[in-house]
Amino acid sequence: MNNTFDLHRFTLLLKRQWLEFGKIFLITLLVATGVVAAFYALTLLPLQELGYISDQLRFREPLFIIFGFLFISIIASSYFAHLGQKSKAIIDLLIPASTFEKFLAGFFFTSILSVLAFLLIFTITDWAFITYIKSYFRTGDLKELAEVKTFFSKNEIGTFAPVYVMPFTVTSVFLLGSAYFNRFHYIKTAICVMLFSGAWTYIVMNVVDVLLSGKTSINLGNNGKDTMEWLLFSIIALCTLVVLSITYVRLKEKEV
Amino acid sequence: MEFRDNKAIYLQIAEYVCEHILLEKWQADQKIPSVREMAVTLEVNPNTVMRTYELLQNKNIINNKRGIGFFVAEEAVANVKSYRKAQFMEDELPIVFRNIYLLNIDFEELQTRYNTFVKENF
Amino acid sequence: MIKIDNLNFSYSKHRVLFKDISMQLSSGHIYGLLGKNGAGKSTLLKNLAGLVYAQSGKIEVLGLDPAKRQPALLQQICFIPEEFHLPAIKIDSYVKANAAFYPEFDHQYFADLLKEFDIPVGQKLIDMSYGQKKKVIISFGLATNAKLVIMDEPTNGLDIPSKAQFRKIMASALTEDKCIIISTHQVRDLDNLIDTVIMLDENKIALKATVEEITDKLSFKRLKEIDETVIYAEPSLAGYNAVMPNYHQEDSKLDMELLFNAVLAEKNKLKPIFN
Repeated sequence: MNNTFDLHRFTLLLKRQWLEFGKIFLITLLVATGVVAAFYALTLLPLQELGYISDQLRFREPLFIIFGFLFISIIASSYFAHLGQKSKAIIDLLIPASTFEKFLAGFFFTSILSVLAFLLIFTITDWAFITYIKSYFRTGDLKELAEVKTFFSKNEIGTFAPVYVMPFTVTSVFLLGSAYFNRFHYIKTAICVMLFSGAWTYIVMNVVDVLLSGKTSINLGNNGKDTMEWLLFSIIALCTLVVLSITYVRLKEKEV
Repeated sequence: MEFRDNKAIYLQIAEYVCEHILLEKWQADQKIPSVREMAVTLEVNPNTVMRTYELLQNKNIINNKRGIGFFVAEEAVANVKSYRKAQFMEDELPIVFRNIYLLNIDFEELQTRYNTFVKENF
Repeated sequence: MIKIDNLNFSYSKHRVLFKDISMQLSSGHIYGLLGKNGAGKSTLLKNLAGLVYAQSGKIEVLGLDPAKRQPALLQQICFIPEEFHLPAIKIDSYVKANAAFYPEFDHQYFADLLKEFDIPVGQKLIDMSYGQKKKVIISFGLATNAKLVIMDEPTNGLDIPSKAQFRKIMASALTEDKCIIISTHQVRDLDNLIDTVIMLDENKIALKATVEEITDKLSFKRLKEIDETVIYAEPSLAGYNAVMPNYHQEDSKLDMELLFNAVLAEKNKLKPIFN
């Protein structure tokens, strides 16, 4: 028997986890959908009072980012949360699946399923409202602005490469928090993230200050290669992988 | 079945089986409950019942037909009686004697009492 | 079946639980794990299931290291914790989600056990009392046909008729290839079910002996008066309940509670008898 990974066992595990985690997931998703829809409705309705539409639609990006962040972080920070309670943890740890499979199931639900689910509900809500607006105004001017497709792809992949890996960074950090802390997972993780990023920013600022003081930049041009962006992408992706490995180790070491 | 406090469980189970044989609830060549069935009925460890059955086999009260189970031996009743008699002589009689001695009971009085008891009960 | 070699375990520097414990357990037995509160009964059981990690020493269960938490071993472990949480779903959904992990899961046996325990199958787990839930998880655990059955205070929360049902079920669950370990402080519930006693005290295994060995070496008696041959005695209505060396090859009934107290109080007198 393969004691690390077995596809059949893994699918069984996904089904089993869904039975309990699915409820939290669906309820959170429902709330998120409600909130997003409410935002659209409050900002855009009634349509008679709508002014210049492109201005009115500016809330979409911050909404997407803030609620996207909240949704995936809440989901991720609840996945392993029950391991903090002995009575729940014992049964989960003793399920005959490998730690790697249990970890992978966590990654699947929090990093893949939750991100996809949020994209889906956001797209659908957005599409529904834009279609409604379009049918109301019946003008061609809105076309470019209102297309959901445009919203997601108006930026070049290269330029925004670091942004695409961010959701996975967020979920991996909060997944680690859920496995690491025994109680108040979300708050504790959030505080840690703040402290950590604060310290990091402070260090980087100072280092940059020391390294660059008295020097002049000679090349500000981008020359079309997005080198910095890809470098940043790699650093963030690497951090994400590191956080995920720590989560795996933490799960392996979990005692009750 | 209620277990008493003072006697080893496996011996009490032996008594239980003997009792069934003497009362002819289980007759010669009849199959008796398996170790597991007996353990479940009496709520005891199967290994304890196994110990009982081994003891009873040694006393030729039951025998083991491999693969089928335990059966009451042909001469079971006689063997039970001699086994019980030995047990009585060893365990219970000393206590009776002790009391007879301590209480100064007359043997003749015992004799008459014994006779009335038999007449009344059997 | 189980081999423990020089196990050292502590939760912290000030809370040492086991010092160089070694023992072997084999299949075909029901072991009764006894010890005072805090002696480490639950912790020893958790060590066997790989739920906690020892500082040093070696544990082998069915030839594998439980700390690795390999599915091959987890399939063979049925662990009934004292406190547990079951999801808010129906019994059959619970079984559907979990049974497939155990290749030898016996659905018929599970149904029989629930019936024996008087648990209605369609009931939701959340609507059940603690005792009923306990019966469900015991039934599920036994139905996995795992070779190592570990139960931490299984009779806690069971009512009087359930305790009898539990004893019947355990008596029939013991097979040649199974090793059952039950920790308990309610010895009266289980004393006829246990065939080997393991007692933990002062970071050590104070006693590990079969009931047969114990009653071979010790005799448990009711005495009017105690003399110097008595190892340990407790006053009772009719005199004393006493433990003494078994000089005359008597077959007395093991009084587990009395033995427990005797081991705690008279370690030094008992040690030479069992070695």
